Amino acid sequence: MGGIKIFIGEILPYITLIVFLSGITHKILKWTKAAQGKMTLYPAASTPGDKWKRIVKEIFIFENLFKGNKPLWAGTWVFHVSIALILIGHVRVVTDFPLLWQVLRMGKEDVDTLSTTLGGAAGLVIFIMGIYLLVRRLAVQRVREISDKDDYLTLALILGIIITGDIMRFVTHFDLAQSREYFVALFTFKSVAVPGDPAFLLHFFLGQLLIIYIPFGKFLHIPGTFYSKSIIYQE
Amino acid sequence: MSEESVISQTDIEKAINSVKAIKDGPRALQLYMDICAKCGTCAEQCHVSRANPQRRTNPAARSDLIRKLYKQNGSILTKIRGLFNGQSNNLSPEDIETWVRDFYECSGCRRCAKFCPFGIDNSVITRKGRAIVHALGMSPKMMAQTQEMSDKFGNDEGQTYASFMNAVEFLESELQEEHGIPIKIPVDQEADILFVPASADLVSFPETQMGCATFFHAAGLSWTMSSEAFDGANFGLFTGDDAHMKRKNKLLHDACLKLKVKKLVIGECGHAYRIAKRIGGAFYWGGDIPYEITNIFIIAAEELARGKLRLDPNKNPEPVTYHDPCNFARSTGVIEEPRVLLRACTTDFREMTPNRDYNWCCGGGGGLAVMDSKEGVKKNEVTFLDYRMNVGGKMKLNQVKETGAKYLAAPCANCKRQLMQLMDYHKMDVRVGGVFDLFDKAVILDK
Ligand code: SF4
Ligand code: SF4
Ligand code: SF4
Repeated sequence: MGGIKIFIGEILPYITLIVFLSGITHKILKWTKAAQGKMTLYPAASTPGDKWKRIVKEIFIFENLFKGNKPLWAGTWVFHVSIALILIGHVRVVTDFPLLWQVLRMGKEDVDTLSTTLGGAAGLVIFIMGIYLLVRRLAVQRVREISDKDDYLTLALILGIIITGDIMRFVTHFDLAQSREYFVALFTFKSVAVPGDPAFLLHFFLGQLLIIYIPFGKFLHIPGTFYSKSIIYQE
Repeated sequence: MSEESVISQTDIEKAINSVKAIKDGPRALQLYMDICAKCGTCAEQCHVSRANPQRRTNPAARSDLIRKLYKQNGSILTKIRGLFNGQSNNLSPEDIETWVRDFYECSGCRRCAKFCPFGIDNSVITRKGRAIVHALGMSPKMMAQTQEMSDKFGNDEGQTYASFMNAVEFLESELQEEHGIPIKIPVDQEADILFVPASADLVSFPETQMGCATFFHAAGLSWTMSSEAFDGANFGLFTGDDAHMKRKNKLLHDACLKLKVKKLVIGECGHAYRIAKRIGGAFYWGGDIPYEITNIFIIAAEELARGKLRLDPNKNPEPVTYHDPCNFARSTGVIEEPRVLLRACTTDFREMTPNRDYNWCCGGGGGLAVMDSKEGVKKNEVTFLDYRMNVGGKMKLNQVKETGAKYLAAPCANCKRQLMQLMDYHKMDVRVGGVFDLFDKAVILDK
């Protein structure tokens, strides 16, 4: 147990960071440097500003998908919004914002209630949506026929992260004070006890795997969408 | 050609190397190899995949023919992903036969890109696949023959100077008969405008060509055609043969310089305009080319707005609908101009649904429209004609039926051929023609 703890908590994070940063930089540079002729899909954006407005709109509301496939749009939009909310919430895992709470006149209890309701809700919703995406991939023939092992693998990875996260929230009631102390130590290269909750360890491990996989797999759609949209919207 | 050809190990290596080269290729191709999330949306929005739902017609699956190979052979990054999918590293001669069949089932219409959450344009991958089989000499017969013909004669129909001049003379006499006044089709004269249709218009769709001539006459524009460059069609777009595409585009460029025109005006041909304006033109010959590249719909809509044209819509009282050629709507943005013209020339104009940039392809895109037999494609189970009539054209057929129109305007030589055959095959009482065919009827000329 001790060895695993040290690996996940004190060694892997640095590997994750290095692999992710170098992988993603490599990709972005490659895309940026590649030549590209015009292949606008009309009606085109009239100005660069207009182009970016359309890209941002796509990023926030998935308009293409809305027109193309409503049920998938609903499922995946909620899925991505939950991810965004949860990621924002995760900032509290690393640090706290006493000043912000003061300005908002929220006591510790209020903040905890907010976190429990909003975070709890998002945790449940994203679990349901993750299952929906998996079921859809298995049940809808047109999706199933193009699904590869890595499509299932990434979904399994995400579901694993969601489930371990939900366990911490609803079962083991993970104490954030522990993780804050740990992350401060990690970033300042000091050795401090890695939180021992097995759910935390597994969650943290899978999360790092996901980050490592971003530059190699289908998660590349996150940065890639800016580039690919830019190509077809430009005038 | 393709029937007898044996695919050698060198051919296979050539194909694999072309796929490998994508990693330093155009940005769009690189991205499309990396970012498809396999969400299945394109399968619902592709006319082929909708009309014949099976794995091989699924756009993402077709693109995977190349994508999977790329992932085994690409950079270390993509290899890792390939490992997860347990792919074996080989491409068999049979796989290449499959490529020819499957990449010629996609009409390159780009509808999928309108709906893909990342805007992935599967036609780019299709064209890459076609380029690879073309380099191996395995393009469908008609594609290869048309290119050869075009390289030899400067037009897809193999017309000579004499036959071109004959056609012009014939059309002028028809125009005289119809309008009772002489309407000229000037050839090889210095003028403001060089007009280039698809050469098929001269032979197969003379009414369209006549309507265009009448338009130039009615608007009082200074125009000419060129006996050396009267064909805007360009199969290099369909076969993926960039060198051919550029060679053919050069004919237009040279003619513009020779005749010192101010404008190159492309006629009713979607892909001709796309190549002249978006792919070739300034991108091939430099940004400072001394002429502007535009389209007959754009200038006709301008002349109409200026009040230069008198039209009597009552001359075309039957219900008319409009097919947006994908190369006009999605690839060059010529969307409203033909409609403006049609509304002015007819009394009962009806839209199809969906329309404009969301229109379904006619099923003849990507060069399919000119192919009838199996064209030497070993794996084809049915002829191209069968395929176009029962699969490719299915969505379009239903759309046309719903409008109840009796005239279907389709301003593209490829669309026209496909749609004429489609209406015939399904015993529909619908005439197919161009937009300028109707203009020719509606126009009121000073005598
Ligand atoms: S819609 Fe786009 S992301 Fe989805 S499967 Fe098709 S190409 Fe891939
Ligand atoms: S380009 Fe058209 S035919 Fe080809 S996959 Fe996309 S929608 Fe289908
Ligand atoms: S044949 Fe017509 S509908 Fe079809 S691709 Fe060409 S322009 Fe598009």
